[in-house]
Amino acid sequence: MELTKTITAFTKIETKPRQRINWKSQRLAYLFLFPALILFGLICWYPIFQTIMYSFQEVNLSGFKGWVGFDNYRRMFGNPIFYIVWRNTLTYVLLSIAIGSMVPIVLALMINEMRRLSAFFQTLVYLPVLIPVVVGLIVWRQIYAPEGGILNGLLQLVGIPPQLWLQNPALAKPAIVVIMTWLGAGGTVLIYLSGLREIPLELYEAAELDGFSVLKRIWFITLPHISARIKIMLVLQIIFVAQVFTEPFILTAGGPANSTRSPVLEIYDTAFNQNNFGLASAWSVSMLVVLSIFSILYIFLQKKRPGEV
Amino acid sequence: MAISNRGVMSNTEWRSPKGRLIAVIYFLILTVAAVFVLFPFLFSFTAGFKTSLEVYKPGFHLLPEKWNWKNYADAWQRFKMVRMFVNTAIAAGGGVLAQIIVSTMAAYSLARLRPIGRNVIRALILITMAVPGIAYLVPRYIIMTNLPLIHVSLVNSFWGLWIPYACSSFMILVLTNAFEQIPKPFFEIAQVDGASDVRMFFMVALPLTSSLILVLGLLAFIALWGDFLWPYLILRNSELQTVSVRLFTLTRSFPINLYLAGSFIAMLPPTIAAFFLSTKIKGGLTI
Repeated sequence: MELTKTITAFTKIETKPRQRINWKSQRLAYLFLFPALILFGLICWYPIFQTIMYSFQEVNLSGFKGWVGFDNYRRMFGNPIFYIVWRNTLTYVLLSIAIGSMVPIVLALMINEMRRLSAFFQTLVYLPVLIPVVVGLIVWRQIYAPEGGILNGLLQLVGIPPQLWLQNPALAKPAIVVIMTWLGAGGTVLIYLSGLREIPLELYEAAELDGFSVLKRIWFITLPHISARIKIMLVLQIIFVAQVFTEPFILTAGGPANSTRSPVLEIYDTAFNQNNFGLASAWSVSMLVVLSIFSILYIFLQKKRPGEV
Repeated sequence: MAISNRGVMSNTEWRSPKGRLIAVIYFLILTVAAVFVLFPFLFSFTAGFKTSLEVYKPGFHLLPEKWNWKNYADAWQRFKMVRMFVNTAIAAGGGVLAQIIVSTMAAYSLARLRPIGRNVIRALILITMAVPGIAYLVPRYIIMTNLPLIHVSLVNSFWGLWIPYACSSFMILVLTNAFEQIPKPFFEIAQVDGASDVRMFFMVALPLTSSLILVLGLLAFIALWGDFLWPYLILRNSELQTVSVRLFTLTRSFPINLYLAGSFIAMLPPTIAAFFLSTKIKGGLTI
């Protein structure tokens, strides 16, 4: 400890005269930054700038055709699909909060409380996070299938008539949100578990001595301790769900009657099937605006707990 | 005195009749969750043994009438699954490696080398975290089909994956924090010994954060292993396609029993890895 102090004091004096710009060390600093700057420029900053430019142009895979002002935006807002797609997004988000947001909290609480098999259950719920999303979806598509789908077979055993899970506009979105929960809950469980393990056990001990019931202990001690994490995970969930693409792309292709179509799926179709990059970029800008708000909220919440996932 | 062994409930409470009831309820709910999680695995495993006629048969029958082991051999050979796995390993492995190299260097510079304008650079990196990648997918794709200045197309090349994969604002952010948190004396002692900044990067910064880098790399590998949309756009040649892309395109042209068998095979390596790495992931998810 004494040595540390000495060295710190020593270097403090030494660093004082180094206030002037040292060009040699600046060269090294930028040498280290160089790959990141080049790649971020090429892959992120320049494309973000381009998206905004494209949204005012007529442009396709073969190149620039001309400036069109706000035409792309007019077409986007004039198309009823725009409102359908954003309403779908809102429904996805609300459904996923209703179905999916509580599940990880409850699972984490139970896994943490188990005296045995806790590690086993933890690994198990994390499993779907590890497998490629597409592979999981291919299997789920067959579970939901109208012909020989095993879910209908299972429900028949308890007397429920077969349903067209992914072909019925009323059922398709909830069916997809169930899969999203299956795919994503495990990762969130791990994040809550690490939060639960940080809670000082003395608090529970004291509460128990004071006669607090188990439910009260969870309500007054456990949940407040992980509430910051819950907030962050909710915002993250909204950001992820609003970007949903793979699920409707593989399971329904946006159908039936556009009831599962998401903004990203619309961007994909406009760009790569209709070859209209200008209109797709106008769509992208609308996404950029909506998601940036939530991302800024996430970074703001994150700032209070730096360094955490 | 620190209490080490209890949960919300103490051990005596847990063993009381009321505690036992709660334990049983917890166990049942977790078992239901486990069955729900494992069901698609089990379903694809057994359906992979059926004939495709049997898969389409209505009603609930999980087990096949006859175990056709040949389906799995067929799927393995006809889908060229070895090729698929190798491609995915190249894409994800190369991506993680590039990400680690680019991020550690940038983070070291931002945390230790005080480049002029570092606050602007930090802000620009933070912005890319706030803007979802999906929103600038289209121009990014055009850039990849025709790189500026050198006019090379990276479609059907792993470089088309590695270059975007190398950019991770998240990893730069976490590593910058980590490098800043290394106690100053570590560097100062090295400096007294005459170590240069480059040498301190390799001898101080990297070794002290190696376990963090390992966890970040692992998480990145998991994410890249299952990536779909970008490889789907870039890898059009079936010989190069990754697991996700290949299985998706195959479902259009192969019988259902074969691609369910193929799907199960594709789920195996991550599953096996999960049970080996479960302790690592547990310890490392919160950094």
